[in-house]
Amino acid sequence: MGSDSEIQNPPGGSTKQMVKFGKSLRKDFLFDDNYLNLNHGSFGTYPRVVQSAMRSFQDKAEARPDRFIRYEYPVLLDESRAAMAKFLNVDVSTVAFVPNATTGVNTVLRNLAFAPKEKILYFATIYGACEKTVEYIVETTPAEAVKIQYTYPVEDDWLISEFERVVKAEEKAGNRVKVAIFDTVVSFPGVRMPFERLTQACKDLGVMSLIDGAHGVGHLELDLGKLDCDFFVSNCHKWLYVPRGCAVFYVPVRNQDLMRSTLPTSHGFTPRPKPGLATIRNPLPPSSKSPYVTNFEFVGTIDNAPYLCIPTALRYRENLGGEAAIIAYSQNLAREGAALVAKSLGTVVMENKTGTLGKCCLSMVKLPLVADAMKTSAKTEDVGGLIVSWFSATMVRDYNTFIGIFFYGSAWWVRLSGQAYLELEDFKWAAETLKKVCERAKKGDFLDPVQAKL
Amino acid sequence: MTIKPPFGRVMRDTHFSFHPSYTPLNHGSFGAYPRLVQEEQDKFTKLAAERPDTFIVYDLPNLIDESREAVAPLLGVPVHEIVFVPNATTGVNTVLRNLKFEQGDVVIHFSTVYGACEKTLSSIAEMMPLQCESIALSYAVEDEDILRSFRERVASVREAGGNIRLAMFDTVLIFPGVRMPWEDLVLACKELGILSLIDGAHGIGHIDLTHLGTVGPDFFVSNCHKWLYTPRGCAVFHVPIRNQHLIRTCLPTSHGYQYIDRPEVLVKSPFVHLFEFVTTIDYTPYLCVPKAIEFRKKICARVAESPGTEVMRGDSGIMNQCCFTNIKLPFTLRAQDKLSVSDTGDSIGPSEVSRLQKWLNLTACKEFDTYLEIAPRAGAMLVRLSGQIYLALENFEWVGCKLKELCDRARTGEFRN
Repeated sequence: MGSDSEIQNPPGGSTKQMVKFGKSLRKDFLFDDNYLNLNHGSFGTYPRVVQSAMRSFQDKAEARPDRFIRYEYPVLLDESRAAMAKFLNVDVSTVAFVPNATTGVNTVLRNLAFAPKEKILYFATIYGACEKTVEYIVETTPAEAVKIQYTYPVEDDWLISEFERVVKAEEKAGNRVKVAIFDTVVSFPGVRMPFERLTQACKDLGVMSLIDGAHGVGHLELDLGKLDCDFFVSNCHKWLYVPRGCAVFYVPVRNQDLMRSTLPTSHGFTPRPKPGLATIRNPLPPSSKSPYVTNFEFVGTIDNAPYLCIPTALRYRENLGGEAAIIAYSQNLAREGAALVAKSLGTVVMENKTGTLGKCCLSMVKLPLVADAMKTSAKTEDVGGLIVSWFSATMVRDYNTFIGIFFYGSAWWVRLSGQAYLELEDFKWAAETLKKVCERAKKGDFLDPVQAKL
Repeated sequence: MTIKPPFGRVMRDTHFSFHPSYTPLNHGSFGAYPRLVQEEQDKFTKLAAERPDTFIVYDLPNLIDESREAVAPLLGVPVHEIVFVPNATTGVNTVLRNLKFEQGDVVIHFSTVYGACEKTLSSIAEMMPLQCESIALSYAVEDEDILRSFRERVASVREAGGNIRLAMFDTVLIFPGVRMPWEDLVLACKELGILSLIDGAHGIGHIDLTHLGTVGPDFFVSNCHKWLYTPRGCAVFHVPIRNQHLIRTCLPTSHGYQYIDRPEVLVKSPFVHLFEFVTTIDYTPYLCVPKAIEFRKKICARVAESPGTEVMRGDSGIMNQCCFTNIKLPFTLRAQDKLSVSDTGDSIGPSEVSRLQKWLNLTACKEFDTYLEIAPRAGAMLVRLSGQIYLALENFEWVGCKLKELCDRARTGEFRN
């Protein structure tokens, strides 16, 4: 695929308008003309048409606050739930929304009652906030944690077998791995995990699977009906073009009893029946929905408009050519773009032998900076973090862009995001810019405290 | 901002975004914010859309700090004791879920506690050995009776061997909307060695709290999106420095959490750092605090007053020093479903109360384009009306007529159809 990718015969019918992916699509979005967004992976973005939808919901809420929030919002929320249920190939009774993936992970872990010798298993590449959540749970409950350590690149086969080995070792030691947390696509480094095989391995070993699919919907193909994991959360505000914060939270019916409370606990909570217990007042209209759905419908007063933007976002993506087309374009661009950047810098793209890491919209390219050399000139041990801070600020301040950078395995890696509004030319520009910044780093610019700021 | 319209319809039309035919008498539930604040929010939303990372990573922390600085004086507390959370319920959950409860521990609250807060205690009690004591408060209670019941309950719980960790109470009750003697309660807690958690959902912008720092509650949270005119959801969370070590995590746990054995080198205090970024959400409501306060100062010259107070004096005997008025509707609520000789034919049994309430809510919404916050309390159906700068006496006169009409219709049994 060249840099001007026109979608011919999009799947599902040729009656769709031919959409030109790439630079020309940027007019649909809200970026500043001078800013190049190469880091879609962190905070996502949404097109103007979704922003209008969001504004119209907010206007309705201000026109008649009580009426909208109490009576109209639940109906609109159900429309979004139905749309995501169809999207994920699951029953609508299993779908709710939370503000973001971290909240989803917190919700699951805080609701699971851990007995002594019960363990939470997670991988070395777990998202930072999720690792801190596990740590907090370990600090405050009988739960313990077991972390599978490794540095990419690794092979899928190795990951699965290591997982099995660790679970069995725990069993042998008299412990029980109650739940395993893993990603669909890791945040840093941005690589795909063999989450389907891990889910099956969990089933085989009697471990609950909690999938942090922060990079999930709109990023890769997802069939939760087929996957049948135990808990799943995915940010819609990353790759699905929905405003922040909105994440879809999936809990199969068999596990819904375990999710006693939302975070925070709110009106939808149903206390366990106790003799003599008076009903606690709920100021919201009575709900005829299941306890699980009612629980997540209203969780403290926030602006729920992002949840309601799902149908508009999905329609926009359909008009672009549909999920498969967008994902194919974005994933291909991430790979081609990474290859281009790596060639230009004389470095490598992070990949394993079977080429499974890069089967997503993120790609990792090593920077041509040698840690030891940088350390010497820096005269500090934490040269990794120092360069990361300087690099990020410099990108924003001097080059009007943001590229995620990460010190990993004694090297600096940048994370590129393939997106429908980008094209190969943007990655050529990225390569040139990265070259310039690396030259500046080697010259010692990162030691200048002024340059560490905006 | 030089237009200073009079309170009432002109203020409403100039500054607020309600539908022209809607009568907003329930500010207390979800608040409202003026167009000037909405424009401010739009400004930030635009910046975030134009350069997502730049805004979120670099601009947001500074803007949040500006908001913290703007709001601290309203509570009479130092800036380093202030952070934001999305709403009061989150603040209450943050405090209660950070405390480690052990066998014998007790939390005390009043029967008027907000439902979600009571459910939070119930949820916590499923995982930890926590007992809750609810002090019954019936409508039209005097301040001194509140204090007395509080002290009596503390004494009896302690006599029975309970270890009272914390007392939770409001600044202004949700329903009925009346001011609590929160200052005296805080002092009583200090004297009795109990942590005080104030759910000031109706607090900032509603009653004067500039002496909060002096009174010194142990934890305080208040919604800015109710009476301070910011967008939803934004609440100020105050924890005095002496208690900050008790708050190990924000809710949910996020990047600001510090490992116990590996504290990171921080630019800001651990408490402020903890709450600076708590998951990816829309932070623009937090950023609107300075503009909201400016609006109140410049446009609402008479901030301390509220037109609602005129109505409150003519009320059914409740002395409020807040922006709520509670009116008893002409229904007789029976204690049991079965009619007895002394019951009138149009009295309502317990199994019908919920239906009546729902009918009143929906009918007011559909036919009169207003929302009435109605609930049964102490044997009566009460409606809670909120006084606001965008309302005038005529709105209350209007609702009085509508209420009469609704009640007359209800008494003929229309709500049963």
